[in-house]
Formats: sequence, structure tokens, C-alpha cells
Amino acid sequence: MPMVLLECDKDIPERQRHIFLKTPEDDVRECLPIANVPTIPGSLSERGCAFCGAKLVIGGVLKDTIQMIHGPVGCAYDTWHTKRYPSDNGHFPLKYVWSTDMKEQHIVFGGEKRLEQSIHEAFDEMPDVKRMIVYTTCPTALIGDDVKAVVKKVMKERPDVDIFTVECPGFSGVSQSKGHHVLNIGWINEKVGTAEKEITSEYTINFIGDYNIQGDTFLLQKYWDRLGIQVISHFTGNGTYDDLRCMHQAKLNVVNCARSAGYIANELKKRHGIPRLDIDTWGFNYMAEGIRKVCAFFGIEERGEELIADEYAKWKPQLDWYKERLLGKKMAIWTGGPRLWHWTKSVEDDMGIEVVAMSSKFGHEEDFEKVVARGREGTYYIDDANELEFFEIIDLVKPDVIFTGPRVGELVKKLHIPYINGHAYHNGPYMGFEGFVNMARDIYNATHNPLAYLAGQDIRDPTPLVMPERLREVA
Amino acid sequence: MSMCEIATAKVPEIKVAPKERGGIINPMYDCQPTGGQYAGIGIKDSIPLVHGGQGCSMFVRLLFAQHFKENFDIASTSLHEDSAVFGGHKRIEEGVMVLAKRYPDLRVIPIITTCSTEVIGDDVEGTIKKCYQALADELPGRELHLIPIHAPSFKGSHVTGYDEAMKAIVKTMAKKGEPTGKLNVFTGWINPGDLKELKHYFAEMGVAANFLMDIEDFDSPMLPNKAIETHGRTTVEDLQNTANAAASLALGRYEGASAAELLKKEHEVPSHVMNAPYGIGNTDAMLRRLSEITGKEIPESLVRERGIALDALADLAHMFFANKKVAIYGHPDLVLGLAQFCMEVELEPALLLLGDDKGGRYKKDPRIAELKKHVHWDMEIIHNADLWELEKRVKEGVEYDLILGHSKGRYIAIDAGIPMVRVGFPTFDRAGLYRKPTIGYRGAIELAENIANTLFAHMEYTHDREWILNTW
Repeated sequence: MPMVLLECDKDIPERQRHIFLKTPEDDVRECLPIANVPTIPGSLSERGCAFCGAKLVIGGVLKDTIQMIHGPVGCAYDTWHTKRYPSDNGHFPLKYVWSTDMKEQHIVFGGEKRLEQSIHEAFDEMPDVKRMIVYTTCPTALIGDDVKAVVKKVMKERPDVDIFTVECPGFSGVSQSKGHHVLNIGWINEKVGTAEKEITSEYTINFIGDYNIQGDTFLLQKYWDRLGIQVISHFTGNGTYDDLRCMHQAKLNVVNCARSAGYIANELKKRHGIPRLDIDTWGFNYMAEGIRKVCAFFGIEERGEELIADEYAKWKPQLDWYKERLLGKKMAIWTGGPRLWHWTKSVEDDMGIEVVAMSSKFGHEEDFEKVVARGREGTYYIDDANELEFFEIIDLVKPDVIFTGPRVGELVKKLHIPYINGHAYHNGPYMGFEGFVNMARDIYNATHNPLAYLAGQDIRDPTPLVMPERLREVA
Repeated sequence: MSMCEIATAKVPEIKVAPKERGGIINPMYDCQPTGGQYAGIGIKDSIPLVHGGQGCSMFVRLLFAQHFKENFDIASTSLHEDSAVFGGHKRIEEGVMVLAKRYPDLRVIPIITTCSTEVIGDDVEGTIKKCYQALADELPGRELHLIPIHAPSFKGSHVTGYDEAMKAIVKTMAKKGEPTGKLNVFTGWINPGDLKELKHYFAEMGVAANFLMDIEDFDSPMLPNKAIETHGRTTVEDLQNTANAAASLALGRYEGASAAELLKKEHEVPSHVMNAPYGIGNTDAMLRRLSEITGKEIPESLVRERGIALDALADLAHMFFANKKVAIYGHPDLVLGLAQFCMEVELEPALLLLGDDKGGRYKKDPRIAELKKHVHWDMEIIHNADLWELEKRVKEGVEYDLILGHSKGRYIAIDAGIPMVRVGFPTFDRAGLYRKPTIGYRGAIELAENIANTLFAHMEYTHDREWILNTW
């Protein structure tokens, strides 16, 4: 049976449908893990809420936009200081968050006045900022505040500001994924086409589904600049509100994260006839392939080949140094969803690493189709894994390194397994050629850590463990 | 701040007021369920179950992981749309049974509500009765304590959430039995390093205590056998015995004092609510009270420890700290305690931001009355504050020589180039602070030396009279 019922799940046997072990005999299409369905209460899942999918993942990245969260203070507090997306204007998105600080009287009598007041205060306190996204949260949705009416009123009173509303309370959908969808569709419905920017190149793209984690966007921008491609909008890494209003002006949508931003790419195709091109930006083979595809679209293949050749000459020897030392290392990926299929084959091809277990918090079945097709046999593919499952899977596959969040990282540290931040990276960026060398270096440093040997040593043991000679080398 | 400013006869202005804006820019506190969860993880064999959207527990777990660099188990009822329409009590029942079955050693499940489930109006107490019935049917003989904790996010802050949770836990669990002779110690929201310091004092005094909660293992080891020991140490029996203590000592007025008062009301346990023991004077008061309650003498060893602290502080106060204006923000008990500590070492607290929302209640705080008596410079105390209150003043040109506060305000200090010492919760951008005490005599040393070294590094980095330290 390719679907696996783990020992820890004997009391919640429905979990069997979510855990797939790929074997040579099975027809993959028959038995994908069930995904994007409600979590079992009390199972200690890793999932977040729809609100955070909209605010924390996408909207909050914008570098010129006030993030007004209409709700109790916690929704703002908790989606602040939890991401690593710098910006080229002094890291505005990292520094600020806004809340209407809903209290009991607003729950009882309605929170619209409080919202209106908070919006005015925010613009008054930061007079240089003219753009805002307002988010609803669980309680404001439940009491039925008419947020859009408030926003309309404020925009009438303040003609120089523009405000976008995201109505996506935490309880909607089953995970973060719902929030991605709501923001995508809301934006195309209300904002795309409401501004025009100057076109400076005949080759124009929207770069969609990259959030400038540790500077990914900055790194890729160097490639676009060299290729002579104008990026109309970054959705949303280091992006601006008004650039995103101009998405209709691009000739091509280049999509990295199809899960969080594929929706808007599809709509741009439907409504504005802009083709969608999906690429992978993590990994040498993938990045090169992506550049080739984009250049082929514009008929600038030669520029692409030159860029790739130069980047390979510069970075490939460094990657190969790591590959030699990482060959056969076993890795687990426990992240949101798309990084499973972005990474499984790229770390295998470029670094010689075997990905032995993968878990997705909010991926859909199409993500599993991709990852199971790209991933290895003998590997576990899990939807919405919970803590006890992690322990059992670790026992089964014995990974050398786990890409996951910092909290789970602290947990697996006790099991003497190093973690690397799979969401925010350790020392990135990880995208592009240079980025993948960074990722290889971080994996090398994680898997060649003398502390792992020391941790396994019981000082009462009469035969001390011998540390391998030259455990670490200088790259 | 010029070292040779001439003192003037101007009457100092001391303002106590709430912030004027309604909304928040950069919150300095989280919402109530966070406090409930922090109380819940302090219990041994406990997994709190948060009744709300998944973000309400996922981000709080991350917050604790950021601060303590540890993982804590917290579950969610994973509330979705259908529950918003039809009520979410079934999600609690299912969550409790799933936890009970999959975690056979589990003894306590604090059930913590959130804004959504309070608005929906789920009957948590009624649901708990149903859960006990279901447990009796499906897992006969299984001991499991379910504790209802109401933590609507639209009231108070994570500080009031903690206070409410401590009260709810004691209310549900306390059980009259044989006197234990121990003291209940409501520690407030402190770090493992603080708890170790408290335990040390109680050991030196020869007083047996029931620490609520015992969070010493929130700093837990990597062991050769790979055991995971990150959990609270306060047991079901400890909680039950809170009713049988000789007295309760609440170290702080807003973080656990309600639980001490409840035990007095319901179980006649005498309650002593005190200032949190930040600084020398507050620590002295705690030890004196301990001596009064128990009749035990304060030992010579503590007189010496106190002397070591004074010896360390005396090297720093009038030479390096005097005339320095300080902005402080965080939990009210911490901020007021730090302000008192500042007064002891000649630092001048000029702005206090109280991260909580209790309206005028702070005006009655004896610490504020005391500050008013001694402060001879202008001082602002803003309650229901946000971090923009500090940033705005800095941007408008108010000069502070030092910021004391948690990591959420780090960019104010970074961008304005103001020396900042991390203290409070959370302090994720400095290594290992949870391991060090801030309370007690040793906490005073840690604080003062951390402040001094931060000022020294700033002097060197900015080439501001760094040559003073060429000989010291």
C-alpha cells in the first residue's frame, strides 16, 4: 500500500490518506495524498490561518504600503518580526505594523468608526506614505463591519491616498492558502489597470510569486537588468503598490511560486491576454532553464546564454566543491508547499542530496502531483503533517538535515538533527546561481557541525566518541 | 546629555496618561490568548488547546520559540467557517479526544478561547462536561483535567491573558486537603534565569515553595539520549495544593496577583501582593516579607550577595549612569520595576510605556506614587501605549540616552543610534537572555553590567569619549 498509516495515527486513521510512500509499483496518479482539507482538531498541525496567508506572505511585503489590520492587537503583533523580507528603502515592511486594536466596545457596537480613525491616524503620522491595505480578521468579519464603505469614505476625503481591502478572516479556508487566493483575486478585480507606468524596454514582465526572502528579488533583478528586461511589477518582493496596479502592461508573467500567486497570473492571462510562464528559480539547472524560456519568449536567446555561461563560470566550481561533500546526504523538507517541488530535484541534481521526506502545510493536490513526479522513490510525501508524525518519519528516514521553520528546528535540535530555515533561510538569498551556492554552503555547515558529535557523547561512557578528522574543510 | 548641565529650579512635570491615538502603530503587547498559552505550557504533562483559528496558536508557538529558542506543544481546534456559523464546540470535543488518545501521558488540557470563539459564544464550560462524559465512555479510568480559560483577544493584552489564565487554572484545580506548609509563589511572567534566582533565595531562606509556574526547563538541554525535556514542571498535585499553602506571594501586581487573591477568597490562603523584585529595594522588600511570613531569618549569605550587587553597581552609577535619560517599555510590572531600579543607580527614567490596557488602574500603582516622590525631572508615563509613542518622540527630537525594552522595538534604537539593552519578553535578537536573571540582586548586576557594556560599546563605536575607558 502506498498510502501509509503511521503508528502514531492509529487513533486518527483518516491521516492515512495524507501520507504517501512512493514505490516503483504504484501509479502515482491513483494515490496522491489528500490535500487542502480541514485539519483534525488537537493534532498539533503546523498550519497557520488565511489572514496570515494574505498579510504576512503577500501584502505585508510591499515596501510603501501601510498594513492596517482591523482586529484585536494580536493579529498585527503576530504577523510582525516573523519574516525576512528586506527592502531597498530601509526595510519599511520589516519595521512597521498597524492595528485598529479592537476592544470589547467595538465588538458590541461595531468597529467601523475605530477603523476610520485608525486609517486617518496612520496617514497623519506618516505623511509620506499614501498607500494602504486594510485586512479584516476573525472578529471584524463575524460582527460584519462594512470595511469597504469605510475605505471608500476615507478615499473620498483623502484624494491622494489609495486603499485596498482584503476580506480574509483567519477562520476562512483551511490554511494560509485561502488568504493567498483572496488577495490575488481581489487585487486583479479592483486594482490592476488603475495606473500606468513608463515602459522603458520592449521586453516587459511581471515577476510573480517571489517575496524577496533575504534578498532573492535583488539577486534576480541583476539578471533581468543584464537581459534588458523591464520588470513592471514584483509580486511582491521589494514591490510597490502602484507597480502592482500596472500589471496589465507586461508582455509576460513569469511565475515562481505558483501556489501563492498562480491565481493572479491566470487572471492576467484571461483578462489581459498576458501569457503565463512558470519557472523554478532555485537551482542551477532550473534557473538556467528559466532564463532560457524567458529569453526564448522575447527572442533574446543569445543574451540569455551569455548570462548563463558567465554565472556558471563564476559559481559552478563553488557548487561542485559542496556537491562532492554533500553527496548522499539525506534531507527532509517541511515547509509550506511549493518549495517541496522546487527543491527536491534541484538539490538532488545540483548537490547530490537525497530528499527522503517532505511535508506540506498548505499545498494542494496539484503541488503533490508535481512533487511526487519530481521526487525520489522511497520518499514520504505528507500533507499537513503533525508533530507525532514528524517524530515517526524521522525514525524511518533518518535525515541529516531538515529544512523547516525555527520552532520545529528547535525541536529536532534535541534529536541532534540540524535544521535550516526553509522559510526565511539561514544565510541567503537562495535563489539564482549565487543563491544556490549559499544554500549548499548552509547545508554543508549544518551537516558538518562538530556539535552533533559532541551531543551524541555521554560523558559517562568509558569509550569516548572519536570526532572524524578534518570534519570541516575550508571551501 | 552634557555632563555639566546646571540644575535649575524648575518644578518637574510628571504626566500619567493613555496614548491619544485610538489605533496602534507597532504594538508592544500581544493579545490575551498568548498569555493563556504561556500559563498553560508551565504545567507538566499539559498541552493547551486554543479554540480559534490556527494562527492564534501557530504564531504564539513561534513567538515562544523565538524567545526561548525551544519548541512548546500547543494544539488548535482549527476553527473554520462552518464553526463560525454553527458553533465550534464540536471542535473542542474532537480536539480533546484526539489529544487524550495520542498523548497517553497527558494530564491537563487548558482550553483557551480567542476573539472568534468568544464572539460566536461557544459554551466552553458546557462542552467540557460533555468531554468528561466522552472520556469516561471511551477511555474509562483516564485522568484528565480540562481547564476553561476565557481569553477574548479584544480585552487587555497578553499580560492580562496571563493573569486571567493563572486565576482560571487555580480556580479549576485548587483542592482543599492537608496543609503543605509551603508558600505559593506567583512569579509573574519571568525567564528561567529569574526562576533559578528565586529558587536560590528560597533555598537560602530555608522556605519551601510551590512556584507557579515552574518554567526552569524552558531552557532545556540537548541530551545524549535525545530526550526532549522542554516543558513546565508544575504538576497537577502542585496546582491542587495551592489551596493548602501557608500563604501566597504574588511577585507583581498584574501577572498572577489575581490568582493569589482568588485563593484568599475561596480557600483562605493569605495573600501578599508585592512589587516585582526588580532592583535592590524591591528584592529587599521581598526577602523581608518572606522573613515576616515564615519567621525565618535572612541569612548572612544573602547579606553578602546584596553587598556584591551594591559593590558592582557602585562602580557604575555616579560615573557612567548619572544624568542619562532612559526610555523603558514592556510589561507594566517590569517597566515600573526597571524605573525603580534606574532610580537606584542614578539613571533617569524619562518615558515609561506600559504595555497593557487597564485604563486608569495604573494611577493607583504605589510604584508610580513613589516615582512621583523622587523624580526631579520631567517624566511621562503612557499606558495603553504602542511603540510609535517612543519612535515619534525620538523623531521629534526628544533625546534618550538609553532604551530598555524587548526586541520588537529594536529598529527604533538601530535607526536612531540609541544604545539599547534588551529586557523583558520577547528578546529574540540577543542570545541567551532568558537564561539570565533580571530580578533579585544578581539580576540587578546583570542589568547594570549589560547597560554599562552597551554604553561602552556605543562610546567606542561612535568615538564618544571612549578614551575614558583607557583607564578604569
